[in-house]
Amino acid sequence: MTDEDKTLDATFAQMCVDDVMPSEALMDRIMVDADRVLAADIVAPVRPKQGLGAMLLDAIGGWPSLGGLAAATVAGVWIGFAPPDALSDLSAGYLGTTVEVSLLGDDIFSGLDG
Amino acid sequence: MAHDATNMTDADLLAAFAAGDRDAALTLTQRLTPRVMGQAFRMLGNRAQAEDVAQDAMMRLWKIAPDWDADRAQVTTWLYRVVANLCTDVLRKRGRGVALDAIEEPSSDAPSVAQTLQTRAREDALRTALADLPERQAQAVSLRHLEELGNPQIAVIMDTNVRTVESLIARGKRALIARLSGRKSELGYEDD
Repeated sequence: MTDEDKTLDATFAQMCVDDVMPSEALMDRIMVDADRVLAADIVAPVRPKQGLGAMLLDAIGGWPSLGGLAAATVAGVWIGFAPPDALSDLSAGYLGTTVEVSLLGDDIFSGLDG
Repeated sequence: MAHDATNMTDADLLAAFAAGDRDAALTLTQRLTPRVMGQAFRMLGNRAQAEDVAQDAMMRLWKIAPDWDADRAQVTTWLYRVVANLCTDVLRKRGRGVALDAIEEPSSDAPSVAQTLQTRAREDALRTALADLPERQAQAVSLRHLEELGNPQIAVIMDTNVRTVESLIARGKRALIARLSGRKSELGYEDD
């Protein structure tokens, strides 16, 4: 062992006897951290896995939004079947004329006669 | 939740903590913090920084508790590695120039102020040199010569084999001697 080795080992040996006891404040800080970790687990429980339907419902804003969407759909269908007169006048006013288009054709029921 | 701490291993206590047992955390804190603090202080030579490292290491322990695999490692082994890593980081950030206020005050049983200062200057030079080593060399040397662990235990801590540990320590010590040899007179080695 060289002199340098001995010197190095002697310095390490000196450092080995360095020891300190943790302060009460440190122990308290560590327990505060432990409490925080415990609280985080309790406050933020694992949420159960959602199905596709529940995820879609969440995406549009939940049941209240779904109720509004259903009401708007029913109103739209109703207006389509039985448009109020005012709506016909309004469209005629904008377009200049009223165009009626038969979706079923004129003679669809002709084979049923007699 | 009541438990008999004396019969519980660190891993058992950690599992109890993960299940929400605060008393388990208290027992682990009292059992492990002195060791963690001692290791950090020996590597850093500064109480405030050692306390920060000890707190950080214990926080990592709390966070890993739910995922702890008792078959994988002992808690103390894991902590040795975490503390060594954290201390190496602190020493690196501290850099070559060490502020005087980062050095602990001399203890009351010091033989003389001059001698104490010289001893501390040597220790601090060694810590700084340690920080300049490659990380694994620094860890192996500190675990061997500051924590006085056996090479087989160091091998477990560093997740390697004994032969590699021996090599890391030998290379690390050679590098330390090379770094410190240029500061012999400054550190008073020539007077010894």
